[in-house]
Formats: sequence, structure tokens, C-alpha cells
Amino acid sequence: METLGIFSDVDSAARAVDNLVREGFTESQITSLTSVPYPAGVLVINKHRSWFRWLALAGGIAGTLAGFSLAAGTAWVYPVQTGDKPIISSYPTAIIAYELTMLFAMIGTIVGMFLEMKLPTLKKRPYDPAIADGCIGISLTIHAEGERITCEPGVRPGECIGGVASLSASQQKERAGEIMRAAGVLRIIEEERQ
Amino acid sequence: MSDTGVTPKSASQLNDEMLSSMRPPTKRWFILAFFLGLVVAWGLGAFTWQVTHGMYVTGKNRPCMWALYITGFVFWVGMSHSGTMVSSILRLSQANWRRPILRAAEAMTVFSITVAGLFPLIHLGRNWIFFYLIPYPNQRGLWPNFRSPLLWDMMAITTYIIGSSLFLYLGLLPDLAIVRDRSIGWRRTLYTILAMGWRGSAHEWSVYHKASTLMAALIIPVAVSVHSIVAWDFAVTVVPGWHSTIFPPYFVIGAILSGIAAVITLMIIIRRAFHLEEYLTAQHFDNMGKLLLMISLLWAYAYFVEVQTTWYAHEPIEWEVFQFMAGKYTLPLIIMLIGNAVLPITAMCFKKLRRSIGMMLVVSLWVNVSMFLERFLIIVPSLSHKNMPFMWNVYHPSLVESSVNLGALAGFALMYTLFCKLFPIIGVTDVRELEVRQAEVAMGRARLASIAGKDE
Repeated sequence: METLGIFSDVDSAARAVDNLVREGFTESQITSLTSVPYPAGVLVINKHRSWFRWLALAGGIAGTLAGFSLAAGTAWVYPVQTGDKPIISSYPTAIIAYELTMLFAMIGTIVGMFLEMKLPTLKKRPYDPAIADGCIGISLTIHAEGERITCEPGVRPGECIGGVASLSASQQKERAGEIMRAAGVLRIIEEERQ
Repeated sequence: MSDTGVTPKSASQLNDEMLSSMRPPTKRWFILAFFLGLVVAWGLGAFTWQVTHGMYVTGKNRPCMWALYITGFVFWVGMSHSGTMVSSILRLSQANWRRPILRAAEAMTVFSITVAGLFPLIHLGRNWIFFYLIPYPNQRGLWPNFRSPLLWDMMAITTYIIGSSLFLYLGLLPDLAIVRDRSIGWRRTLYTILAMGWRGSAHEWSVYHKASTLMAALIIPVAVSVHSIVAWDFAVTVVPGWHSTIFPPYFVIGAILSGIAAVITLMIIIRRAFHLEEYLTAQHFDNMGKLLLMISLLWAYAYFVEVQTTWYAHEPIEWEVFQFMAGKYTLPLIIMLIGNAVLPITAMCFKKLRRSIGMMLVVSLWVNVSMFLERFLIIVPSLSHKNMPFMWNVYHPSLVESSVNLGALAGFALMYTLFCKLFPIIGVTDVRELEVRQAEVAMGRARLASIAGKDE
């Protein structure tokens, strides 16, 4: 369940994040929604390890194989004997393999990026068009009572989950609302129940 | 109010100004689009005439079977080169002045490579069987021969069209979300689909930046390979004047020169048309002028090396081509040398001239006219005076070929004009990011602008 607070400036948004963390919510539960990227730590700390580049690499390898198959493979299947020249010519094969390597790597990058961002999404998520005009959204993912949050390796569940996790979802939401209001939120948008 | 006494603009104001190109079209815009449409129609009419009457309507004849269409092809491929290249290099080097010019450069790449891709198809004798080029299992018992550089071209151009379109789209993604949030009706539906549900979360931005950097790194070698492959179309033959090892780097340098000049021309037009003087400042033209100077020096060096080597070796058939070019095409040769070397090298040495919009327009336009002539002078004289003197001939372009080339130029301009109305022509988030990261700090007696660096 997601709660989104809309702030008019960076300072009030940062104050809200500080107070939410002080209350016991964890950094992993909080994210910012902005129309321009802010340097890490100005609003939130993003500790996600990115994996999409592996997909770009996989795309590149697939492209090399595809290019090699297209140029060398088809020359081998449909041999055209020209003088004493080899059936499979390494120079053109390398060119075709190179082009397809780069093409597939670029496609892999874009596809991987969207997969990692979990976009496009069919689920309606809290958002406010005022963000486009410079407002800052602070989004808090509230976990229902008893629901476990996935902790990062090496972090104990007690440290990871945060103190407020023992409260019910509605109580957590209420606390978060109070903190955001104290920090100067313009409005709070709740995630619509599916 | 800032310390300098100037009230900083709000995000909303900045959005309004930078998205001014997307305001409802004016009467002048419609007139321009209609005029460009007419020229495109004229070009299409000429092409239809060629298809229905045969290739004799062109000026091509033995031995000059590559002429104005291939000139157009090489010219447009070259122009496409620099947009993505400039954008990628400036992105990777974190040059902050890049921000307002990236979109114009990236869009230029996509549209010019699209136009370039049409020329080999127009140049084909029987255009309607162009799909014979595509490798797929068929009942014709034919399979494209990958030993042919024309197939390398097809693969390289396909890769570059897809890659540069993805690169353009990637840069547009956060801006599409801004436009989505500020639009209504069919435009909102369009931008909602294209923005893919982007909200600008910290995680999205982090992944986005990594993907942008990776794409920038991937697209540079593709751009270099595309023009090298186009150069190999010539260099791997044994035609005098073409069979030269310097051709690929020489082509790449020429392409960058042409592309940078085109970006400058487009910056001037966009700046004037959409009143973006605050965003495309004299500083941007100054920096682009320095780039132009550097690449022009490189081009002059490459051209000198090529001619000097041929002159020193004095191999009869090679030298004959140069003599024929200098004798028959003296005026285009002089225009080309002035436009590609003498003018940019002398003019761009002076800061005052680099900051003069009028001068930059003259130089950038002349560079591209010269680059078109350079492509022509590479192709036509070499083919006209090949190894067999009994076949020597002089090529004269026909009205059909000139019309198709003119139509291509108008097609490029029309696509660009439509793009400006539908999509942000200035990278809104890129420019606003700088505003966010920028602050004034006191140092001694002065207050200096300071910019927060990378996240890592």
C-alpha cells in the first residue's frame, strides 16, 4: 500500500523523509517522485543494485551468435563457390556479427531498463501531475502488520523492518500522515485499493 | 530572490518556455509545412516518373553508374553521424553546456539516417523488388551475398536507425511524462502511452541514468562503424581515387564536420523560431564553433594527406582522376575547399565570430553545401575516368535526380518541423536538472556558480 505526499519544495520534502526515518520507517520504504533527478541523499537514498546491464550483455552475446549464423551459417548452408575464395569469409562475417552485437546490446539495454523499472505498468499508482511542475512527491510503501519486508543481505530483520512495522497498516498510515503534515505537505494521495 | 537580485524562474515557468515549440501551430507554421509538403510531393512525383519510365531518365550512364543518388546517400549518412555522436560524447563527458542542444542533435540523426536509408532504394533499378536485399528463406533460390559491402550497408544502417531512434526515445522519456501531465485530449493519450507510466521515482532515475550512459557508450562505436562501412563501399573497390586506406577515417571526420554544422544550423533556426534565446546562448555557439574548428582542421589534414600521397606517388590513373576533377570541376572544388577548410578554420579562431549568430549560420550552411559537393567529387570524377580510357565520360545530373534530392531535403525539414510540434525540442529535464544542481557559493570577494557533481 502506497501513500504519496506532495510537497512544494525540496526542504519540506527532505524534512518529511528525515522524520519518517526517525519514526522507524526504513529508507527502503521511502522514495521520491520528481520531474528532475536530485543527487543521491538530497531526498532519499537509493541502494538498489542494478542488474539490467547483464541483459545488455546477454543481448550482445545473442547478437554475435545471430550475426555469425546469418553471415557464416547461411554461407555454409548455401555455398557459393567463387574462384578459390573461401565459402565462409571472415571479414564480412565479422562486420555482420559486430553490427548485430551492437544492435542486440542496445535493444537489451532498453528492454532491461524497462524491466528493472517495472514499466510499463497496468496498475494505477499514486501520482500527481503537479510533480511535472516542480512539486516533490514523497512516497511511502506501508506494509500491513505481520508482512515481512525483504531485507538486504547482512541486515537483521529487526533493523531492516523498522519499529513502526509492528503497528497495523492503518495506524502506520495515520502516523505517516501526521509526520508529512507537520513537514508542510500540500496534499496526501492514497493508493486506490484494487 | 537570489543573491544576484534576479528572481529564479519556477519549474512551471521553465516548462512553459522550453515547451513553447509545442504550442498550437501558427499560420506561418502551416504555410511552412505546406510548402515543404509540396516540395516532397514534387520529389515523389519525380521518383514515380523514374519508376514508370526507367532509369534512363537519370543522367547515369556507363561508366558513371553511381551519381547524385549515392551522393545524397553518403551526405545524409554523414549528417546523421554527428547528432548522436555529439550527444553521446557530451553526455559521457558530463559537459553541462550540452543540455539544451542534445534533443535537436539526436532528432537530426534519426531523420537524416531515415532519409539516407531511402537513397539506396531509390537508386535501385527495379525498386519494387528491394526486398531481395533482405535475408530470409524464400522460393527464389537466392540468398543475399554477405561478401557485398551493400549488405554491410543494409545491416549497419538498420542498426543505426534502430539504435539512434532508441537513443532519442530514451532521452525523451522523462520529458514525455512532463508533457503528459500538462496536456489534454488525444495528446495526453499519446504521451501517456509513450511515457510508459514514468513517475520519476528515485529508482527510475537511477536506472535511467545508468541506461543513458550505457546507450551513449554503445552508440558511438555504431556511429563510427556506419560511416566506415559506407567508406568501404568505395574503398574495397579497385576504382582509382576510391581504393584508399584513409577513406574510413576520412569519411568519419567529414561526417562529423557535416553533422556539427547541421546541428549549428538547426540550433539557430530553433532558437529564432521558438524564441529560445535564453536557452541556446552565445556560449553554446561558442563551444560548437570550437568543435567545428577542431573537426575542420582534422578534415583539412586528412584531405591533404590523401592528395599529397597520390601526388607524390604520381600513379598515372590515380593522378588522372585528380587532374580530371581539378580541371572539369574547378568551381565545386574551390567552393568545397573554402567551405570545409578555409572558412571554418579562419572564422572559428575568433571568439567574436563564434558568438555571432549570423556568421555561424553562414559558416554552417557553407560547410554542408561543401560537404555535399565533396561527396559528389569523390563519387563522380572517379567513376568518370576509370581504368579504361575508351569508356571515359562526363556525368550530367538530370532534373529527376535533382528533384528527388530536393524532395529528400524537404522531407528531412518536414519531419523535423512536425517533430518540433509534437515533442519537446529542448531537453526539459536535462536543463532543469542543471538548475537544481546549480548554486552560488561565496569565494573571497566573489560569488561563483557551483554545480553539484555526479551521484557516485
